[in-house]
Amino acid sequence: MIEADVVIVGGGPGGYVCGIRAAQLGLKTVVVEADRLGGECLNYGCIPSKSLITVSKLLDKVKEAERYGLKVSGATVDFLQMQKWKSEVVSKLVSGVESLLRGYHATVIFGEATATSKGSLSVTTATGVEQISCKNLVIATGTRTSSLPGLDFDGDLIVSSKEGLELKAPPRRMLIVGGGAIGLEFASMFQKLGSQITVVEIMDQLLPGSDPDLVRVVQRKLEGRGGKVYLKSKVTRVNKKGSEADVEIETPEGKVIVPADKILVSVGRKPRIEKMNLQELGVRTDPRGYVITNEKMQTNVPGIYAIGDVRGPPLLAHKASREGVVAAECIAGLPSAADWKVIPDAVFCDPEVASAGMTEAKALEAGYHVKRSRFPFASLGRALSAGEPEGFVKVVSREEDGLVLGVQIVGPEASNLISEVALAIEMGATVDDIALTVHPHPTLPEAIMEAAESAAGHPIHQLKV
Amino acid sequence: MEFKLPDLGEGITEGEVLKWMTKEGDVVKEDQPIVEVMTDKVNVQIPSPRSGKVTKILVKEGDIAKVGQTIIVIDDGSGSGPAAVPAPPATATPAAPVQTAPQSPSTLNVLATPATRRLARELGVDIAAVRGSGPQGRVTEDDVKRSTAGRTGSTITVPASNPVATAAGGREEVVPLRGLRRTISERMAKSLRTTAQVTHVDEADMTELVLLREAFKGSAEKRGVRLTYLPFIIKALIPALKEFPYVNSSLDEAAGTIVLKKYYNIGVATDTEQGLVVPVVKDADKKDIFELAGEIEKLSSKARSGQLALDEVHGSTFTITNVGAIGGLFATPIINIPEVAILGLHKIAKRPVVRDGKIEVRDTTYLSVSFDHRVFDGAYAARFTSRVIETIQDTKKLLAEVL
Repeated sequence: MIEADVVIVGGGPGGYVCGIRAAQLGLKTVVVEADRLGGECLNYGCIPSKSLITVSKLLDKVKEAERYGLKVSGATVDFLQMQKWKSEVVSKLVSGVESLLRGYHATVIFGEATATSKGSLSVTTATGVEQISCKNLVIATGTRTSSLPGLDFDGDLIVSSKEGLELKAPPRRMLIVGGGAIGLEFASMFQKLGSQITVVEIMDQLLPGSDPDLVRVVQRKLEGRGGKVYLKSKVTRVNKKGSEADVEIETPEGKVIVPADKILVSVGRKPRIEKMNLQELGVRTDPRGYVITNEKMQTNVPGIYAIGDVRGPPLLAHKASREGVVAAECIAGLPSAADWKVIPDAVFCDPEVASAGMTEAKALEAGYHVKRSRFPFASLGRALSAGEPEGFVKVVSREEDGLVLGVQIVGPEASNLISEVALAIEMGATVDDIALTVHPHPTLPEAIMEAAESAAGHPIHQLKV
Repeated sequence: MEFKLPDLGEGITEGEVLKWMTKEGDVVKEDQPIVEVMTDKVNVQIPSPRSGKVTKILVKEGDIAKVGQTIIVIDDGSGSGPAAVPAPPATATPAAPVQTAPQSPSTLNVLATPATRRLARELGVDIAAVRGSGPQGRVTEDDVKRSTAGRTGSTITVPASNPVATAAGGREEVVPLRGLRRTISERMAKSLRTTAQVTHVDEADMTELVLLREAFKGSAEKRGVRLTYLPFIIKALIPALKEFPYVNSSLDEAAGTIVLKKYYNIGVATDTEQGLVVPVVKDADKKDIFELAGEIEKLSSKARSGQLALDEVHGSTFTITNVGAIGGLFATPIINIPEVAILGLHKIAKRPVVRDGKIEVRDTTYLSVSFDHRVFDGAYAARFTSRVIETIQDTKKLLAEVL
């Protein structure tokens, strides 16, 4: 029997961060992980996909290098080497997580945890069953990929993102069901690696919920390179023919049949809560099964907390991590709470899309007098000199005083650019604050300054509208 | 459905509805915080048990609701009958009775940096209720700190805050009991309710002290401080507190012990616009009159501008309240609990005094000492007071103390 102040079930970006913080605060901490530390993010999501995306972008650059006067011949992708490098990156990070946890004297147990009562868990490990009693339980079990009826994963033709990252060769024709963040990242990546891409999305735009202005840029590029996008459409039938299939798609214009060698289903995720016996513990969940908590990550049952994906969307690693910190601090009796204004998000499609705060539509819906301003990367020295002139920065501010409500970016390094904006919003900055902050030249963040200057009414590198 | 005030735990039977975060006609979501309730042990935000439309709010802000009493009716489509919904758990934060509610999602609309928001959480300040002094109403760290200044104990009462409503045809004004006023009212009542207070009054001849202060005034001015009588009184007090240790103590009823404090932190009751606050002069025994004078001046000006930090109002072991400047003969001050005694200073006036069989005009004042009779007795209090007066009246003794 192991006794602990806090047991965290799930060692993903929420759970392991919670474990480190709890241990730092002097709590006797146990992290239980059923698979690999680092969770989906590190092992099957963010990190491996970014590794592969890096290779695909590099290949793309090399292919157009001649335009810049760089002659390269015979550039090809060694898929196995690419996968090997990706695995090395992942392993390095996973072992880093484990040594951090151990370094702070948190106990890591590998096994499947089942909550038996409020303060006790049994963990089935490789060697037996371990009983743990704890004062506090943190549910950090995350989510798993949802499947669609008629599109059940078979690990071969119909795959999830996890298997999609393990492919040994690029499929000739890849059909992606679901045009969200994961679907689009795969679309851009495999398109660069040589696949013919078809995206089927049931909503009326890709990246549902994002600013349509941004999405248009991504869709245009995807289609410009020969990809096909079907909106307001769904897969009605898959006729398997050996290792390939004819996929029947119902579109607003009628039925179409698309042949595919690989079908990637990325239609969302659902909470992984089966082993937690939430009903018996009396922990309340919402109709979709996500655990309900307050801003201190406390569920309705004292001593039981939930963090990360299992609390519900947005399903993002950085949100989970911060929630893990809040939960650990609250358990330690510190006055911590989830009081951030924004959770930025980034999609690593081509070009990248990133956003922090309210979109124009959301701000209008919230009743603000909205001012919007844009600055195109096509007018920016660094974007042009990097050969990436697509996209723009869009700033949504409050008409009365210029308070920054949200910023959306589509374009080069959008994922890296968005943090400046997140800081601005958290600090309560106005467009003047950003415009008056000198940005180094020539850099991509100048686009944010230029868009802010435009909102403040005195653009320099853009004609006044 | 009718929603009843849920069990808030720890034997709490009622709570005061501080603030409704919704109003009739609003649509609320399940688990959205709808009401803030203050009890004597915790401040809680209670979430809505269901999604639906608020049809009726049954308890007004400022009213007391009993556990189990219906406080709000929410139309969730389940019909009007009392639904068998288990009360949702309240999000409770153990807090001192003077603390405000924990952070709520309403902070999303507050203009303040993340670090300022954390400071507010640490100080138990509801940042949404703080008026920001920065651009666009931005709440600064100073604003947050300032808003804690009013949350201290006090010893006498002051006029209430702005009237907000009228009743009885305009012949009465209804003023809500809020903020510092409420805290003062609770603390005063609690002090009288939980202690056995007696006030001992004696007369002191201040003639020599008046001269002594005149003598020191010049050198005080050179040091840039204004010298009042208070530093002298504090200096006269210290040897008496050391000689009568039970006066500088507190009673731990639960443990059945009296804690004698070997440090001398003197609370100075200070009248401010918001109400009475008691900044604390720490380790008064280790400071000379000029240091005391400087510190008192600084603390009282901070108190008036509402800029006292939390540690400047905590930890007093004995309190002095001085109403001499306003007038009156003497008062019976209320003990600033958990202390066990308080010294009231009053007007210094020229009065006829019999000295050596002759009537003389002398500067005199009355000192009143309210004390907790549970901890020591009247004779002890009288001896303590005599000891203070003895030092005040004897310039030589006092000089030995002040320098």
